[in-house]
Amino acid sequence: MISALWLKRAKLIFLLMITVPLLTGCWDRIELERRAILLGIGVDEAPRAAGNTEKNVTYLKKPPVSGMIMITAQIAIPGRIPLGHGQGSGAKPGPEKPVWVVSSTGVTIDDALMNMQQKVAYRLFYGHLRAIVISEAIAKKGVHDLNDFLRRNSEVRRTAWMMVSSTKAALAMRAAPPLERVPTLYLTGMMDEAVRLGKLPNMILGRVWAAASSKGEEPILPYVEVSKNNVLIGGLAYFKGDKMVGRTNPIEIGIVMELRKVKHGGYSLLTPIPGTSAGAVMVEVTYRKAKIEVDMRNGQPHVTAKVHIEGNIVEKISEQVKVNDQPIVKTIEKEFSKKLEQGQRDLVKKTQQQGSDIFGFGERVRGKFPQYWNQQVQNKQKWEEVYKNIAIDTDVTASLRRQGMKAR
Amino acid sequence: MEYPREITVIQAAAILSSTIIGVGVLALPRFAVQAGDTGAPLVTLSGIFLASLGLLLITILGMRFPNQSLIQYSENVLGKISARLGSVLIILFFTLLTALTAREFGEVVVTSVLRRTPLEVTVVVMLLLAMIPTRNNITIFAYIHHFYLPLMVAPALLIVVLSLQNANPLHLQPLWPENMAGALQGTLTISALFQGSFIMTLVIPAMRRPKKALRASFWGMAIAGGVYFLTVIAAVAVFGPEEIKQLRWPTLDLARSTSLPANIVERVDAPFLIVWVTAVFTTLFSSYYLTVHSMSELFRLRDHKMFSLFMLPFVFVIAMQPENLQQLYSLIVVIGRLGLWLTIAYPAVLLVAALIRKRRGSAA
Repeated sequence: MISALWLKRAKLIFLLMITVPLLTGCWDRIELERRAILLGIGVDEAPRAAGNTEKNVTYLKKPPVSGMIMITAQIAIPGRIPLGHGQGSGAKPGPEKPVWVVSSTGVTIDDALMNMQQKVAYRLFYGHLRAIVISEAIAKKGVHDLNDFLRRNSEVRRTAWMMVSSTKAALAMRAAPPLERVPTLYLTGMMDEAVRLGKLPNMILGRVWAAASSKGEEPILPYVEVSKNNVLIGGLAYFKGDKMVGRTNPIEIGIVMELRKVKHGGYSLLTPIPGTSAGAVMVEVTYRKAKIEVDMRNGQPHVTAKVHIEGNIVEKISEQVKVNDQPIVKTIEKEFSKKLEQGQRDLVKKTQQQGSDIFGFGERVRGKFPQYWNQQVQNKQKWEEVYKNIAIDTDVTASLRRQGMKAR
Repeated sequence: MEYPREITVIQAAAILSSTIIGVGVLALPRFAVQAGDTGAPLVTLSGIFLASLGLLLITILGMRFPNQSLIQYSENVLGKISARLGSVLIILFFTLLTALTAREFGEVVVTSVLRRTPLEVTVVVMLLLAMIPTRNNITIFAYIHHFYLPLMVAPALLIVVLSLQNANPLHLQPLWPENMAGALQGTLTISALFQGSFIMTLVIPAMRRPKKALRASFWGMAIAGGVYFLTVIAAVAVFGPEEIKQLRWPTLDLARSTSLPANIVERVDAPFLIVWVTAVFTTLFSSYYLTVHSMSELFRLRDHKMFSLFMLPFVFVIAMQPENLQQLYSLIVVIGRLGLWLTIAYPAVLLVAALIRKRRGSAA
């Protein structure tokens, strides 16, 4: 009897011994205050001499790679990040700033970040990295190495935004727009909102990477211009492989979105009214519908893009002209279509000259004509060449449905 | 050895599905895409068909010998010596499979979630978790699987549906793989991910009505195959084949880049990982159970509990053998393909031999 009881107890103790270690919680636990949470980073080229200010952190004597970059990071200061919008948005000057801007240089991304780690007490944490701003110079040199680092790191989210800055990326990190207390959140909020307004294609990091890998499409990134205290979306930077080869105007973002079949309309076009001396109307695009067809003509792919635009008249210039009957609306629609078609043709030509198929026509060719693709094209580099010479027709129709509260 | 005969058709199907769905799902889209580019879904489908063939053979055999497991009736069919050799190979194979599963699990966790937790700790904890319930009998085994299956399948389907918001149908065209030789290789690799279905050899003798085993096999394979097939479609449609080739665990990245509508949950990778840990647990549980149980049958022991603990150090040591991720994955692919000889060819031989020699088990 007693031995049975003891056996039972021994079993219980054994059970406790093996289960208690399982209840101890997380080995990887790091308190919030002990993380240096990076919210945004800016990547710039740095002059070679800047290397002297940093110590050898990731190499012994001479780095095996050339080049020098500078990383400027916004690190969140725990406790100063406002929770929600209630407690006073609007950046206060001075020590109340919720982020700490640190910069460091290095020969590679990780080298620069390790240099930064030497300056920052707590472990750099990339889980909340929302914005990666790169300078135009870096974008033109190629973003492969940067993307390689970001892809490898398991903390980096594919939902972050990457953008190209006309000025130094460091400026974008230091700019503090007054609408939001955390500058990076303003920056990403701006991008998200632009997507919602139909002013920017949704090119979050994951999508950019997918476009960069796919054989028949080139990536695009938002192109931002930074002034002292604000940032504006100045167009799209378009790439060929991992190198930036050009940029568009803001209005051309709308054209890119049309040809990429984004339905939600956003941009307006100032359209002259034919037959009048100075008459013009502002046409606001509310909805875009695109049909893109690819067929083979004489053994060459031929793209036909049919775009239909729904729009409203939101502004009229010149007192003399009236927009109160069907014929005049029809003329405006026709003129609008003509102008837009011209814009599309120009942009397509521009990208063709660079061999940068940002509309993803190549993906359509690959998907619909695998035989042609496998024989003539095969890879991304070849498509970049083929794209330069294919015929792309565009055809725009428009319907202007409403004219606002005014009758004429 | 007498079995309790309590497993229903639904439970048997649940055991099958939850055993099959496991670590493999993370790398699955990459295997499929490497074999067939945009034809990945088709490669997956043919992998599922090959795996179903193996399962069909096992089920037919099991229904022919409704009171015995494969280890037992193979002696009747092939003769003692050759059958025991086969059994030893099967036990070795599933020991290896258990070890590799545990290691793959550990690698994913160390790389993507708990980066400072030692690999050994993750692997040992998971093996212990799988080991403890293997001490129970097959009825409880069935209950555990039955309990976890809905918790695995429902969230997996949810993630697939949500991720389709970002899908691009062009990524799935053309449907046919270009390179047929590669597609065939991929078929083998993918059907190797379904080898957990071998657990059916243990389940049939414990079923209340072994005659319905075929129905259980069908549904078990349909659920697991369906989840795998949809996962491949979703991953390829969202990322495109070229992007998937760059990703170590495409399914994990799929969860990482998917969010619930209206920002309720910004990333679904945390819930996904929870589901996935459950899936790994049930897979490990089954392969460990299969190993331990087969051993006790081979040695004609009444009870398998002793082997449960006994095997743990061996499995752990094997799991620690691969030097790095590259070696681990080439081992998984090679051993998986070799395993097809045991899980498809061997049952085929048994069935043919049983037909020729007119061997048949007593009715249930």
